[in-house]
This record gives sequence, C-alpha cells and structure tokens, in this order.
Amino acid sequence: MSPEIIQPPEWAWYYIAVYFFVAGTSAGAYFIGAMEELFGSGGEREVSRAACYIAFPLLVLVPIPLIADLGRPERFWHLFIYNQGGYPYLNLVSPMSVGSWVLLIFSACALLSFLDNLVADRVISFPLFSRYYNRIPRRLYAVLGSLAGFFIAGYTGVLLNVTARPFWAATSPLMGALFIVSGASTGAAAISLYLIWRRRNSGGEVERLEAFDRVVMVSELVLIALLLVLAGRTALPLMTLPFVAMFWLGTVALGIVVPLWFKYRSRRHPFGDAPVLAHYLCILAGGLLLRISLLQAGQL
Amino acid sequence: MAKGMFVDTTICTGCKACQVACKQWNGLSAEPAHFGKRSGVPYPVADNFTGDSYDNTGTLSATDWRHVRFIEQIDESRREKRWLFSSDSCKHCSDAGCLNACPTKAIVRTDLGNVVVQQETCIGCKFCIPSCPYGVISFSEETGTAHKCTLCNDRIHNGLGTACAKACPTGSIRFGELADLKKRADARLAQLKGKGEQARIYGYEEADGLKVFYLFADRPKVYGQPEDPVVPQRRLVLCSLVTILTAIGVGAAALVNFRERLNGKDEEESNES
Ligand code: SF4
Ligand code: SF4
Repeated sequence: MSPEIIQPPEWAWYYIAVYFFVAGTSAGAYFIGAMEELFGSGGEREVSRAACYIAFPLLVLVPIPLIADLGRPERFWHLFIYNQGGYPYLNLVSPMSVGSWVLLIFSACALLSFLDNLVADRVISFPLFSRYYNRIPRRLYAVLGSLAGFFIAGYTGVLLNVTARPFWAATSPLMGALFIVSGASTGAAAISLYLIWRRRNSGGEVERLEAFDRVVMVSELVLIALLLVLAGRTALPLMTLPFVAMFWLGTVALGIVVPLWFKYRSRRHPFGDAPVLAHYLCILAGGLLLRISLLQAGQL
Repeated sequence: MAKGMFVDTTICTGCKACQVACKQWNGLSAEPAHFGKRSGVPYPVADNFTGDSYDNTGTLSATDWRHVRFIEQIDESRREKRWLFSSDSCKHCSDAGCLNACPTKAIVRTDLGNVVVQQETCIGCKFCIPSCPYGVISFSEETGTAHKCTLCNDRIHNGLGTACAKACPTGSIRFGELADLKKRADARLAQLKGKGEQARIYGYEEADGLKVFYLFADRPKVYGQPEDPVVPQRRLVLCSLVTILTAIGVGAAALVNFRERLNGKDEEESNES
C-alpha cells in the first residue's frame, strides 16, 4: 500500500482552472494598464484604457465558477462572515480566505477604473460622478488595484503549493511565481487583442507592451523548467497522454515557444494581421492549458 | 486538559469492533462508493472486495472514520510470517493542516483539543481535503460538506470516552488524558524494547504532536502512514516571499520597459526639436 494517502480535492478543472486563468488574465491586464497610467507619458492612453475595459468584465465572470464548485453554493457568504458568530472572518494562513477578501478589493478597484474610463470616454455620465470626477484619487486605486491584482494572479499558485498533494507540495515555492508571470503574459495578450479589435494596435505604447511581454515570456519558460526540476518524479503525470498534448504541445510549444519566436522574428520581418492575431490567441490558450495541466497533474 | 487516544497496534487483533462502534455511535451509513447497482437486484450490492487481506474498507472516507489495516508480512523463503493490524483514524493534530486551511472557520478545535468540522458552517470548498498530511478528512457528495472523526465530540464532553476505545476488547485503543496516555505508551515501549522487539511511537513530534498517537512494530510507511509528514502551511512564508519577489520582478520589468523607452523617446523628441 502506498504511504502517499493524501486525497485530491477533486476540484473541477472547468471551474477552478478556468477561474485561475480568467482571474490571472484580468489581474495581469489591470497591472499593465496601471503601470502605463502611472509611468507612461500620458500622451497615449490606449493600453491603460484597454486594460480597464478588459479587467472588470472578466472579473464579473469570476464568482460563477468559484461558487459553482462549492459543495454548498448557497453558503458562499461564509467565506466572509462566520455564520455562527455573525462577524467577518479572515484566516491569515489560508490562501483561500485571504484570496476571497483580496478579490473583493481588486474588484472594487477594477470597477472604479472601469467607470472612470467610461466617463472619460463619455459613454456614460453621472452628474454627481462628474462633479467629483477630478477629485477621485485615480492613482491611489491604480496602485492599490495593481497590488491586489498581483495577489490575485499569484495566490492561486501559493494555494496549491501549501497543500500536501505530492506534485503541488514538491513544486513549492514556484507555483505562485509561475502564475504571476503567466498572468502578466496573458494579460498583455488580452490587451493586444482588444487593441486589434479597436484597430488601435500601433504606436510606441504597443511596442513597449511587446518588449515587456518578451521579457515575461522568457522568464515563464525559465520558471517552468525550474518547476519541473523541483517536481522531479511527482511530475511524471505530465509525461502521460492528455498532458503531453495539453502541457508540452499546448502550453510550452504553442503557448510560449512559438509565440516568442514569432515576436522576435516579427521585429525584423513584419507578418500579416492574421498571424499576429493567431499568436495572441495561442498565448491565451497556452495560459489556460497551463492552469488546467498543473491543476490536474496534482489531482491524478 | 487535552484528551486523546493511544493506539497500541501490537495488541490489536483486527476484530474491527472499533469500526462498528464508530458507525453506530455516529450514525454513519455504509460508504456509497463500496456499493453498486446490479440489474434485477432492488438494493445496492457490495462490490468493494479489495483482495487486500481482511481489508474491505480500503481508506478513510466521509462515512468511514475508522479503518483497520491488515498487513501481511512474509519473508522471501516463506518461513517467517507476521500479521500486523492497526486501527487508523483522524490524528487530531496539534497543528492541524485541515484547520489551518479552512476559510470559513468550519473546522475548530474544542477545549478538549479535538478538531471538529461544524457541518452548518462548511461550504464544501474542499481545500481542507488535500491539506491534511494524513489523507483523513473527506468530502461527501451527499451533504456537500467535509467529514471526519470528531473524537466523539458529544461523548467526551459528557464524561464518556470515545466509542471505539469503549468497544475495543484488547485495550489496543485507549482514550484519556494525553499525559497519562504518554506515560502508558512509554512504559509499553520500554517493555517491548526490553524484550528485544522492534517498536516505535508515532506521533510525539509529528505536526506538533498528534492527539491520537500510535505504537508501531515497524516503519510508519508499513502502516500506511507518511514517514515525514509536513504540515503544509509551514511552506506558506517561503511561497509568499518567492511570489512577492516575482511580482516585484515583473513590476521592475514593466517599469524598465515602460519608462526607459519613454525616456528614450523623450530624448529622440528633444533631439528632433
Ligand atoms: S489528521 Fe488530518 S483531518 Fe485529522 S486533525 Fe490532522 S490534519 Fe485534520
Ligand atoms: S470543505 Fe468545509 S471544512 Fe473543508 S476547508 Fe472548506 S469550508 Fe472548511
């Protein structure tokens, strides 16, 4: 009998891995937008605007899979209020508890940035809002939201690392780092896709975004390699069939290596619009498959 | 005041009285995963014959809070043989991985030191399940919540011992004050060592001390227990630090790219003008 008797949580990948991906992408996009907002020239605002329009709508989707995966969905509010005492509850050593609270903070900041842009773009106008519009400390919640966003992108990895399941435990402490880096790269891809859709994908801002993305994707490859070294024998499931296709082909090859090669090449030989679009989609799909692979490899 | 149990596996006979007593007192049904439908038979039919000695329980589960293991040891020449038994359950760890993980305060420790799941509070997030280094706490599809041994919370708060200890005919499972149990365990260990037998206590150091601890005649892994259990939350600080450092790194990469190029561009512009 195997001494490794630690049970898997049997989290459904179509809820939990998808949540990891959506939240990570939203957080990555928000952070990039905030960085542009804080340190950019202020002349072009396309990237930070795109980021705000992506981050919040994605976040709106997030509670659905999270609540659907609970054994008792109608009790989800127990995450915030201890039902037997009626007071707010926070467990500092449980990433799930802290993560739930930070998700609230991040959502609030993302909502503010979203509204802010709608008003700036004159899509909506609240007389009351407009009166106070210039007094809203925009930079403050951009900073707060970025910090919360980083937390949201990374805590899901830490959450896996602080369980006793062999693969998740062995990959400690790198899962959080990998999820942050992957979130930044899928966030950048989402922004680029939005800009293509709005036909605003040119100019210095987009170049800066690409340069940032290249750095991030190289570090993602390095982190994946380190993670596999740490995992050792516990990573063996990644060598079996569904994972060879999902992880090696999907995430590593099509999701990172090919897009990275494409990015370096297209600096000298610009490609047409279709391949550019496709490579962003590949990055997004790779990010999703990364979460599914790492979640499921720990649950086998 | 901490209560606990001492399981002396060397005098267990594998009678499973503890399993039966646990089921009866706690009103636990049969494990649903152990029964299947057979066409033409109106009731569920047991189909979990493991072929592993006398063990058909297999593992602890949401409805099996006790599990007697049967370990058949036969040497290569098939001359020497030994049959080991051990009754397993939740260890009521002093630093409990399940309790640390719970985001809703559903898992609490009572004044007697036992760890219980409050069914009215549990939301079924399942985070506690992989967080137990012993694979004890389990999820029930039926209730949508997590379940495990409560150390007979209702009995021990009313002056009774646990149902399993009460039922055990050999005294292999003993309930009582932790300090008394340790004395008893040490004495028994010394006795066995005096006879030149291999024996060890499992649970003095693990997870800051297990409130349910064991005397084993072989290595823990023979009894299906981890040799070096780690309370998973002890990795939290390192994981958080590495993640924060990465976040700073990504932030720096963004700063360099967004700022440097900006400056570069400013220079270009000023050069032009
Ligand atoms: S053995 Fe597992 S379920 Fe029991 S208290 Fe320890 S961590 Fe919790
Ligand atoms: S499943 Fe229930 S007991 Fe376990 S961590 Fe979640 S809320 Fe707590």
